[in-house]
Amino acid sequence: MVPMSNAISIKGTREGLTITLGSGDIEILLQDLAQHLATQGAFFRGGTVALQVGERAMKEGELARINGLLAENEMILRTVVSTNAATQQAAGSLGLRTVDQQPAQDAGAVPSSTPPPQVQASPPMHVTPRSQQESSRGMLIHHLVRSGQVIRHTGHVVVIGDVNAGAEIFAGGDVVIWGRLHGTVHAGAMGNNQAVVCALELAPLQLRIGDLVARPEESERTLGKKGPRKPGPEIASVRDAMIIVEPWERLPRGG
Amino acid sequence: MPTRVITITSGKGGVGKTTTTANLGVAIARLGKRVVVIDTDIGLRNLDVIMGLQNRIIYDIVDLVEGRCRLRQALIRDRLIAELYLLPAAQSRDKSAVSPADMVRVCEQLRGDCDFVLIDSPAGIEAGFRNAVAAADEFILVTTPDIAAVQDVDRVVGILEAEGRGAAKLIINRIRPELVKRKEMFSPSQILDILSVELLGIVPDDEAVIVANGRGTPIANDMRSLVGKAYHNIARRLLGDRVPFIPILEGRPSLLERLGLTRRF
Repeated sequence: MVPMSNAISIKGTREGLTITLGSGDIEILLQDLAQHLATQGAFFRGGTVALQVGERAMKEGELARINGLLAENEMILRTVVSTNAATQQAAGSLGLRTVDQQPAQDAGAVPSSTPPPQVQASPPMHVTPRSQQESSRGMLIHHLVRSGQVIRHTGHVVVIGDVNAGAEIFAGGDVVIWGRLHGTVHAGAMGNNQAVVCALELAPLQLRIGDLVARPEESERTLGKKGPRKPGPEIASVRDAMIIVEPWERLPRGG
Repeated sequence: MPTRVITITSGKGGVGKTTTTANLGVAIARLGKRVVVIDTDIGLRNLDVIMGLQNRIIYDIVDLVEGRCRLRQALIRDRLIAELYLLPAAQSRDKSAVSPADMVRVCEQLRGDCDFVLIDSPAGIEAGFRNAVAAADEFILVTTPDIAAVQDVDRVVGILEAEGRGAAKLIINRIRPELVKRKEMFSPSQILDILSVELLGIVPDDEAVIVANGRGTPIANDMRSLVGKAYHNIARRLLGDRVPFIPILEGRPSLLERLGLTRRF
């Protein structure tokens, strides 16, 4: 990954993304943000953003530029978190919600009662780790992932259970599924072609690793008929700029 | 017994939600329970037609929530069964005429006054669906044995689970044993394998259902019919009886079956 300055951090929360602007010249920060988004934007696409600026006084034009940058990457700036009155006013005049501290729960979120921790449904939401520490590791999903459910995580994702058709998993790292994969998976979603996808039955609608996309051969949908071969554990990885799938026994990188 | 409010939903349209609601209403009422069925498909009401009550509607659910009538005035008694009532949808308005809070209020009024409230949900997962599920304690999912319907039910279960809602059980509708045998149609076990929800019942495909719907007399009134029996079994299961699932595909066909006189389901 491209080295980033510490002046900007992007963190996932259950409600969406929090982008924190540190201290320093706003022009440099804006450049940094643009660079972050250029490398990771695809991963966060469709997310809602809370912009945390602390005490920094921001002009309306500056906020508008950030809003524009995010919009280019299909992200929606929803909230500006600031203790600075001028910033709050600028945000207000752009029609953005302002708060002086990070809310516990986004007011835009719909669930009426506690959802399962990792997955939310309708509207598609973005589930990302709560702390930086988590993001460097993995996320464990211990249930069936159903159609319409989206899981996003900057690290590895492990699912114990099936991933049904219509479900989507986006992971910065590897995706391991102890179950049947019938949905869509993007491993190495921030541009890592070294990522792998393993499943006990690897039959995704679509498989993406890094910047490559593969569709399993569009053989006849089988329904009750047994497929051409018995499903077994398989691993998908990138070799020579192609996604290849191999049975687990012939593990390409020696386990 | 406290009133059980159950929403019948599916995601996909045309899988038989309304037919299921009408028939379960009949089957449960025939077991001696007092049942109110509610049509929440405002703007496209159908439940009244299938129950043969469309010419008796004076007030509908929108009249009720907008205060133009009392609950008793809006409830229409079934033609054949004394303890079955319909609260019809409005035909002239749209889903925004009723809110989820309105549905909760209507169902609160019904609680204690009847044994079952069955809510017929419109297709989709938008406002109409939101209204239909708002007040429910339990859910009956209806699917047909095809990929699109199963995937839509999967989506609905995901939404209900994410919101921590009550138990959801599955009815597999319009199964055709001969297609399943030829592996041209999902079998019940394949569907359950994908959805991992509890099975409430299997209803075979039968043109008698269409005929009965056309007459406005749901097939569950005909206890001799295969489908009528299937709904009766489902009603008993809802009441807590352990009714075995008749194996739909196992074993050899009997002589009668081979002669086309009976079918298994």
